[in-house]
Amino acid sequence: MSVRESDLKQAPACTTTSLGNYLWSDPPDESKWADCVHCGMCLESCPTYEQTGQEQHSPRGRVHLIKSVAEGKLEVNEAFADPVFACLDCRACTTACPADVDVGGLIEEARGQIRQAMPLTGWKGAVSKFFLEGVFPHPDRLHLLGNLLKFYQKSGLQKVARKTRLINIMPEHLVEMEAVLPEVKQPVRKKYKQAGVIKAKGETKRTVALLTGCVMDVMFSDINEATINVLTRNGNDVVIPQNQTCCGALHVHAGDRETGRKLAKQNIEAFKDAETVIVNAAGCGCMLKEYPELFREDDEWREKAEQFASKVEDISKYLHDTGYEKPKAEIKTRITYHDACHLAHGQGIRQEPRSILLSIPGVEMVHMPNADRCCGSAGIYNITNPEMAGAVLKSKMEYVPEDVEMISMGNPGCMLQMALGVLKYGRNQKIVHTVQLLDWAYQKEERLKGV
Amino acid sequence: MAVKDVQIKDKHIENLAKIVGGAQSILYKKEDLLAYDCDGFTIHRHLPKAVVFPKSTEEVAQIVKYCHENDLPFLARGAGTGLSGGAIPLNGEVVISLTKMKRLLSVDLENRRAVVEPGFVNLKLTHSISDKGYYYAPDPSSQYCCTIGGNVAENAGGAHCLKYGVTTNHILGMEVVLPNGEIIEISTNGVLDPPGYDLLGLLTGSEGTLGIVTKITVRILKNPEAKQTVLAYFDKVSDASQAVSDIISAGIVPAALEMMDKTAIEGVEAAAFPVGHPKDIEALLLIEVDGISAGIDEQIDEILKVCRRRNVREVKVAQDEKERERWWANRKTGFGAMGAISPDYLVQDGVIPRSKLPEVLERIKQISEKYGLRIANIFHAGDGNLHPLVLFDARKPGETEKALAAGSECLQVCADVGGSITGEHGVGIEKREEMRFIFTDEEIIAQTNIRDVFNPKNLLNAGKLFPTPGRCVEVKRNEKTK
Repeated sequence: MSVRESDLKQAPACTTTSLGNYLWSDPPDESKWADCVHCGMCLESCPTYEQTGQEQHSPRGRVHLIKSVAEGKLEVNEAFADPVFACLDCRACTTACPADVDVGGLIEEARGQIRQAMPLTGWKGAVSKFFLEGVFPHPDRLHLLGNLLKFYQKSGLQKVARKTRLINIMPEHLVEMEAVLPEVKQPVRKKYKQAGVIKAKGETKRTVALLTGCVMDVMFSDINEATINVLTRNGNDVVIPQNQTCCGALHVHAGDRETGRKLAKQNIEAFKDAETVIVNAAGCGCMLKEYPELFREDDEWREKAEQFASKVEDISKYLHDTGYEKPKAEIKTRITYHDACHLAHGQGIRQEPRSILLSIPGVEMVHMPNADRCCGSAGIYNITNPEMAGAVLKSKMEYVPEDVEMISMGNPGCMLQMALGVLKYGRNQKIVHTVQLLDWAYQKEERLKGV
Repeated sequence: MAVKDVQIKDKHIENLAKIVGGAQSILYKKEDLLAYDCDGFTIHRHLPKAVVFPKSTEEVAQIVKYCHENDLPFLARGAGTGLSGGAIPLNGEVVISLTKMKRLLSVDLENRRAVVEPGFVNLKLTHSISDKGYYYAPDPSSQYCCTIGGNVAENAGGAHCLKYGVTTNHILGMEVVLPNGEIIEISTNGVLDPPGYDLLGLLTGSEGTLGIVTKITVRILKNPEAKQTVLAYFDKVSDASQAVSDIISAGIVPAALEMMDKTAIEGVEAAAFPVGHPKDIEALLLIEVDGISAGIDEQIDEILKVCRRRNVREVKVAQDEKERERWWANRKTGFGAMGAISPDYLVQDGVIPRSKLPEVLERIKQISEKYGLRIANIFHAGDGNLHPLVLFDARKPGETEKALAAGSECLQVCADVGGSITGEHGVGIEKREEMRFIFTDEEIIAQTNIRDVFNPKNLLNAGKLFPTPGRCVEVKRNEKTK
């Protein structure tokens, strides 16, 4: 589309792909911002613009700044980093944009440049390195951490910490977070380690591989369990490749694209033999589908990543498209649905989860206005930018209907954040994953049959 | 790695920050200001001195007073979606952003009016009252995000203004901060036609050169009982244009009567909200009629007949609200959609007598060929409000200048056939010189004289709306007043 892009393609392989004041390889992609005509249709879709009313915290403002660095008008410095890292990466602007500008991609590429130009230092750097490099990519360490948390919860330490207010030595937003942490159970990856294939109940129609996720399998292993139940119930053999790893979304969001690529390669290899890769976390699913973005400058891996991405599917869409048995047992509840950003804006999946919920007898759906507005979770944004995340959550909670018993969604990060919202604003909804509700309906049906 | 706040030593910044309650409500670093160097018109750019975010009329008044006393140029900005550059800080202005004043203050259904702050988004008004069966009629295509304050400044129009009129027909009162910081109220009780000069009419469409509106009373309307929408595809632009004239001649006043040509259709179909229009048609019409249920079907029949008489290839009525919304989303995101087929565009905003449509479109085609730039046409055909979109690539040397020249020539054509250079986007920076196509020097001076009464130091949004005082008369007069 643009002149310079074609120049770049003709450039000899040895030249660096740096651009303007982006001095590292893999800079923001010019063809992405060339589509932006600065019309402003994205403004109202942006949660950070809603909170601040400031252009540099709007999608078109950020695109403008990213472009300005490439044009040499701005430098990669703290003042540039601030609006780029304040983005929730919720992709609502991508849905609103008339010209399909990939703002999310630009933001992630810009973050990659910022983190290379100015690596995190001090305790922020240490914490980030510890988690992003030391924990998430290593299932064993994560499981150990999960066990510690489990010990903390079960041993009475949690009670002691809360009672003695010892817990208050942590920053306020972390104390709030601690209060809504789910009870840690056994990760499915450990549980089914020896199983090889988890066989379908009844006739096998298809075989799928499951991404268990890193935090998901520690904090929300019951959702993984529910996913497996729902899949096997509907004629799917389920495989859990043991050498899979964290999807890398948190790393890419944080600007660490190098680790992102490493993890991507490991996953691409791990799922080499899979026909379909099932994901139950919207953020992870979106990341897997965007692996090709990470390999823009590596033809061999880009091709592999594209092939891999085409196999990835969210559990709700997979069930919807391949067909699933409508549950017969009734679950009488009033429920509302929250669109996880990386499901609705990132993957265009909106109707499928809703229709699954509606297929359960007794479920009454209540419309949530602005259901696809970000809740402020955004990966670890609620930990890195607690103030903005809190403001975004407050706005979100205003849209949650008063008279519902449950809020359903398809992303673990949102589940924690919405649970926090429920606690903080004195509401009493239960937070559930879409497949959990379906699984409960199946289980109830079994129980009734048993009787 | 922390950035040193060198500029905070500027005493003006410091004083302005005090007015708005601290550093979180003012921007002054280059990195932040850069996002304010233009609005929806991107050809001219300039950094502001600072951007302030007042939260009340009083804060606006104090900022204005401070600027007035210290001879700092200043201007107001809403969402920054204007298409003629009205909010671009050409003179390094202090930009007064009204995005924090975004409350809906009151709704009075009985008297059918609502009071809003200037930063309140146009479509949100309709969303806030639709459950009670009311709406706000002016609907610029940017209504998803543009502010009513900005609509007042530009006297914004929109697709449905053919039947319901433009913004000025829906403004019942306002509170204004004058350029010296005084606060005045104009007809806030919403009484029609108050005695004295029509200041509401004067302020609406004054493009932010006479004062800053801080509170607006608008008219709200009851939702029409019925609504029908028609989409018609034509093989010839002239047939489509004739159909437009015929519909109006038949005595029908559609709520909206929109047209897109082939290039425009290529753009919207390549973008985010495609409808599936055929690629090989030359023009399409989007026609909507609304009102009481009785008679709507007859009007639709008549419209279908007219289209068939004018050799329409295919014509259909929207089957449900979903389909209707899809057609409108496709049309209303049309300008931004040009990004999908061109890196930059310049939109023009000429008005012509409806009967001249075929002739003018033909001449725009010639202009396009002359400059070697594609021109897409998306426009409110019903009221003769054209929007030629000149597609160009600013990175190619000389192409911006060519686009500007082509745009200007399009406006010359509009003026030549007895029309005007702007229908709803305003003059701003973009069409200052073209004002000479339709006004004599004396007529321009009569208007700048009015501006000088309100804005004697010309600190508020200077350099907009009128040609630069290149002519000796205004220069002399300016010297005299000094």
